[in-house]
Amino acid sequence: MSASMYLIYSFLGLPLIIVLALTLAAKKPADRLCIYAGYLAAIVQMIAAAAIFAALLAAGVESLTFSQFWDMSVSDSAAYLSLDAFSLVAIFCVGLVSLVSLITAQSTMGEKKLNFTNVLMMLMLGMNGIAMAADLFTLYVFLEVTGITSFVLIAIFHDIRGLEGSFKYLVMSAIASAFILAGLAFLFMEFGGLGFDTVAAAIGAWQEAANPTLLIVAFVLLASGFLIKSGIAPFHGWLPDAYQSAPDAVSVVLGGIVTKMAGTYALIRLLSELLTDIAPLTQACVILALGSILFGAVAAVRQSDFKRILAYSSISQIGYILLGAVCASPLGYIGAILHFFNHATFKTTLFVNAAAVHEQTGTTDIEELGGLQKQMPVTGVTSVIAFLSTAGIPPLAGFWSKLIIIIAAWQALGAFAGALALFASIFTAAYFLRLQSKVFFGLLREGLEEVREAVLGLKIAEILLTAITVGFGIAFPLALRFMQAQGWL
Amino acid sequence: MNETLVLILLVLIVGCGLGSAMFRSMLHSAVSLALLSATLAIVMMMMGATWAGLFELSVCAGLVTVIFVSAISLTQPIRRHPEHSEDHHRRFMALPFILIVVGVAMIATVLLGHFAVNPVLQPETAETAATFKEVFWGSRQADILGQIIVILAGAFAVVILFKEGSEA
Repeated sequence: MSASMYLIYSFLGLPLIIVLALTLAAKKPADRLCIYAGYLAAIVQMIAAAAIFAALLAAGVESLTFSQFWDMSVSDSAAYLSLDAFSLVAIFCVGLVSLVSLITAQSTMGEKKLNFTNVLMMLMLGMNGIAMAADLFTLYVFLEVTGITSFVLIAIFHDIRGLEGSFKYLVMSAIASAFILAGLAFLFMEFGGLGFDTVAAAIGAWQEAANPTLLIVAFVLLASGFLIKSGIAPFHGWLPDAYQSAPDAVSVVLGGIVTKMAGTYALIRLLSELLTDIAPLTQACVILALGSILFGAVAAVRQSDFKRILAYSSISQIGYILLGAVCASPLGYIGAILHFFNHATFKTTLFVNAAAVHEQTGTTDIEELGGLQKQMPVTGVTSVIAFLSTAGIPPLAGFWSKLIIIIAAWQALGAFAGALALFASIFTAAYFLRLQSKVFFGLLREGLEEVREAVLGLKIAEILLTAITVGFGIAFPLALRFMQAQGWL
Repeated sequence: MNETLVLILLVLIVGCGLGSAMFRSMLHSAVSLALLSATLAIVMMMMGATWAGLFELSVCAGLVTVIFVSAISLTQPIRRHPEHSEDHHRRFMALPFILIVVGVAMIATVLLGHFAVNPVLQPETAETAATFKEVFWGSRQADILGQIIVILAGAFAVVILFKEGSEA
């Protein structure tokens, strides 16, 4: 078996080995070493994803598909797992955000570190499974892994807010799962298989199918399920409560990657690989994406909690990712993947900023904060850079991905869609300017004189993510040239 | 032999169905429902519907049960009120009617000739066994891993949210 096979196994195997090792080990060493074991899994995952990405490019292969999990060298027509550029970007993001979440947990989770690490490892495994799935039922199974581990993490401290947020997440997730499962059942009845290839081939002639109404119901159910899990407006009811009530380290991973993997990633796969020919569904997704971009931005302006502002901002930014995906053009698809990656980095930075402020001041209510820039310079500066990237200010990474999505929308969907997406960026700047001025600028609020900069771990996480945001933004012209050379654009 | 086994399984299905409706504890109800799904999956597989049986086993007996147990872990402390115990005996008043309806339905099915066991069941053919092996162990390997993780996550959910919560 080649080295790359071991790397691929590590995506599903290493988190599981760590969970088993930590569970079987004596409590004291497990408590002491759990976070470091988590670091190992996250770093290995990032390196493995980058190495496989490089190997794919070197070999000139678009994707690797596997029909046998135990022996990945076997690949026939019925593929259940696959890896391509998008799935590897997603797996890299999972590793990166999990690493930052573990760094945050080290200073914020107290005695819950061991349980947190165990459940986070299972969450990582679930998200990696989603990224690798090439079969709708396999995708569903790993969606459930992600959903269950997420609501355990939200409620890990047993406080009433956490339980309430977790319960809302559980209910909405269960409804979404029921929709997805019903949609899968209908598709299976019609096509006799749930592999992406099988469904994509059959969908091409869906209007001539024996029961087209059943198929339409199946598509609507599937899309609705994934839209709920994405938190796209108007299916977003659970998202702000879940983000706000979750412990800081959990907010980082929820806001940074979980919602995107459980909903947006699956939706992009569905729209780009399976449902490209279903025009009414694509049109509905365009309306929802534009609505979500505007609604998230407008609603964020009215919030007074740091994490709630970030939650509504996520609703808006996920709208951009969906808009890129529904353009059904290579430019839109690339824009969606880039914004997926950028959102993972700048939103994780902002959640780490929120964790740092919460850790030092004991609150995330922006009305109780003010003038923290001098007390927390690293947190303040990294927060400004992440906000500028979210708002799409050049030359930061968020500017490029938003620009590509807006150009793609303009070309594929018309001037109105492009202009609306551009217009919503102004609101993004508005709510973030309000957030920055309330939390970091102005006069230092009374009672915050003793506040100091965040602990070293959080500072390292903030600087690392900011370096990625700035570095990727500056180096983007090179990346663009590379993508053109590869024929992706 | 097959008829006896099927009858035992069908009685078990009815018993589990009643249990899931009648148990006072939601946890027992959920477990009873899982047992029902697992038994139903066995019957489906014996009838040659391997895929349906596999989905019933993995989704209903596996995933749904974990979700139920986790939801119960989250909600049960809030719902544990003493006045609920008064409903305990009242719910059994409906039991005879349910048993009568189930009995009549089973007799009617037999009388109408829909309970032809031998032509339907294929428990011993090599083809069925191979299909099950192929489906369960050949085609859906990644799903098995995913479902193991779901069950593991469910166990962690119960420990973290339920056991530790009651100790706190």
